[in-house]
Amino acid sequence: MYRFNLIRGSRDLVGHMILIAFPVILIAFFDYIYRQAPAYTGLEGTSYSYLTVLAIGFALTFQIYGAGLSFENIAVDFFSPIRYRIQATPCDPRRLIIAILISGMIVGFLQSLVVLLFATLFLGAMIPLFPFILPILAISIIFHHLLGSVIMVLSGSVKTANVILSIYGGVAPMFAGLYFPLPDTPLFHFLRKYLTPMALGNTASLGILGKDISLTLSGLIPLIVLTGGVLLLLRQSIKKVTT
Amino acid sequence: MIIQVEDAVKRFGNNLALDSFSLQVQKGEVLGLLGPNGAGKTTCIRAIIGLTPIDEGSITVFGIAQNGKNGKIKSRIGFVTQELTIYEEMTAKENMAFFGSLYGLTKAELDRRIPEVARVIGLENRLNEKTKKFSGGMQRRLNIGCSLLHDPELIIMDEPTVGIDPQSRNFILEFVKNLASNGTTILYTSHYIEEVEAVASRICIMDQGHAIAGGTLSELITRIQGDSHILIDVRFGSEEKLQELKAIPEITEATLDTNQYHLVVPGGITVFDKIIRVLSDLTIVNVNSKQPNLEDVFLTLTGKQLRDED
Repeated sequence: MYRFNLIRGSRDLVGHMILIAFPVILIAFFDYIYRQAPAYTGLEGTSYSYLTVLAIGFALTFQIYGAGLSFENIAVDFFSPIRYRIQATPCDPRRLIIAILISGMIVGFLQSLVVLLFATLFLGAMIPLFPFILPILAISIIFHHLLGSVIMVLSGSVKTANVILSIYGGVAPMFAGLYFPLPDTPLFHFLRKYLTPMALGNTASLGILGKDISLTLSGLIPLIVLTGGVLLLLRQSIKKVTT
Repeated sequence: MIIQVEDAVKRFGNNLALDSFSLQVQKGEVLGLLGPNGAGKTTCIRAIIGLTPIDEGSITVFGIAQNGKNGKIKSRIGFVTQELTIYEEMTAKENMAFFGSLYGLTKAELDRRIPEVARVIGLENRLNEKTKKFSGGMQRRLNIGCSLLHDPELIIMDEPTVGIDPQSRNFILEFVKNLASNGTTILYTSHYIEEVEAVASRICIMDQGHAIAGGTLSELITRIQGDSHILIDVRFGSEEKLQELKAIPEITEATLDTNQYHLVVPGGITVFDKIIRVLSDLTIVNVNSKQPNLEDVFLTLTGKQLRDED
C-alpha cells in the first residue's frame, strides 16, 4: 500500500518539476534583487545572507502546493468510482488514507530537500544547521498535507482545495517578506513571523539559524498545536468518506 | 445458499431503488440480473456487498448477515465495477498488486497470483505497461483481473462489458463461462439480453426495484407462452400437405403462400420432426424459425424494450 502510493506520487514528473524548479528559480531571482537592496530578515547581525532566508522560505512555501499530492490522491480513491472497489475490500479505508498521506508527505519532503540542496550546491546558500531545519520542514509539510486534505474532504472538491491553497500559497510568502520588503514596523515584524502556518515554520527555522531558542519555539509550538488540531479535524472529517 | 435477499427496500429520497426485492443465489450458479438502466441492479449489488445499507428487509451472504462492516464477507467476494476502476498512471502489475494487497495478500501470494490471473485475462505480456496505453478491452479485462487475485468464492460483475468492442466482449463472456465451469458462483448484471442469455444458468428480471420474474431461460420462455413462427420454403407447395400440417395438434395456425409454409407453434414447443416428416416429399429448400427469446420475455413482462433504455 505504501510502496504503491510512493510510486504513484513519484510518477507525477510535471508536478516534481514545478515544485522543484520554480522555487529554485525564484530563490535565484529574489537573491539577485535583494543583493542590490537588503531587506529586514531577522538575521541581522549574523553571518547568514538573504539567500539562506529565501531558500528556506521558498522550500516551505512550495510545500503548500505540494499538499495537492495527498489530497488529489485521496480524491481519486474516495471521490471517484474507485471508492466502490476499495470499499468492497476488507481493507480499512482509514489505513489507505494514512498510507496516501504519509507517502505524499515523504515525496513532499524529498522535493523540499532537493530545493534546499540545489540552493546550497548551485546558488551558494549557507545552511550549516541543516539537520535541525529538517524536522521543522517536516512538521510544516505534515501540517500542509493535512490541511489540504481537510479542505478537500470537507468541501468534497479538489478544485476548492486547490483554489484555497493557491491563494494561501500566494499570500503567505508575501507576508513572510519573501517577495518584497515589508515595512520595518513592529506590526509587520509580528505578521511576518506569525501570520500564517508557513510563517511559523519560517520563524522556527530562522530561530535555528540565529541560534535563538525562544524564536524557534515561538514558531514551532504554535505550528505543532495547529498540526494536532488539523489532524483531529481530519480524523473527524474522513468519517464522511470511510463509512 | 450464497446470497439471500429478502424483501429489501432502499430509498434515495423519494426514489424507491429497491422495492421489496428478493433474490437467492445458490452455490456454483451464474445468476444473470437483467434490467434496464435505473432498474435497481447496481443498488442491489452494492447492498449485497455491503456498500449501501438497506432501509428494510435482510441480506445474508455466505450465511452471514450483511451489515456492511463484516470484512469476512468482503474478503470472499470479488467485485467487478461497472466503471473502470484502475489507475491509469500505474502498470497492470502495480494495479493488481495494490488491489490484491487490499484483500490482505502477502508479497509471496501476489508473486504467485499475479502471473496466474494475468494469463487468465490475457495480459501476461503486458504486465509492466502503464494501463493508460491499453485498449478499452484490455482495461476492462484488467478491471476484472483485479477482482480475482484473492480467488473469491463469489464474483459480482456489474455490467462488465459496457463500452467495449465485440471481440473483447466475447473474450469476457467466454471467461465468465470458464469461471462458472470451475464452480465459481457469479452474479452478473447487464442490460444486454444476449449476454445474460449466454452466461447465466438462472435469470432474474428486475424493473423499478422489483424482481418481476426469475428462473432458467426455458422456464421464463414457457412462462410467457410466446408463439414460435416457422417458415418453410419448398420446391413445390401443396394444399394437401397444408391440411396434413393443420392436423398436427401442436400447430395452431398453418398457411401456404406460393412455396412457403408459415406455421405457428405456441410456447417454443419443437415439432420439427413431425413437420419434416410431412414435407419431406416436397424438397425442403429453406427453414426459418423464430422462437420466443429473452427479449420477448422481457418485453412481455415489462412492456419495455431494453434497447430503448440505453
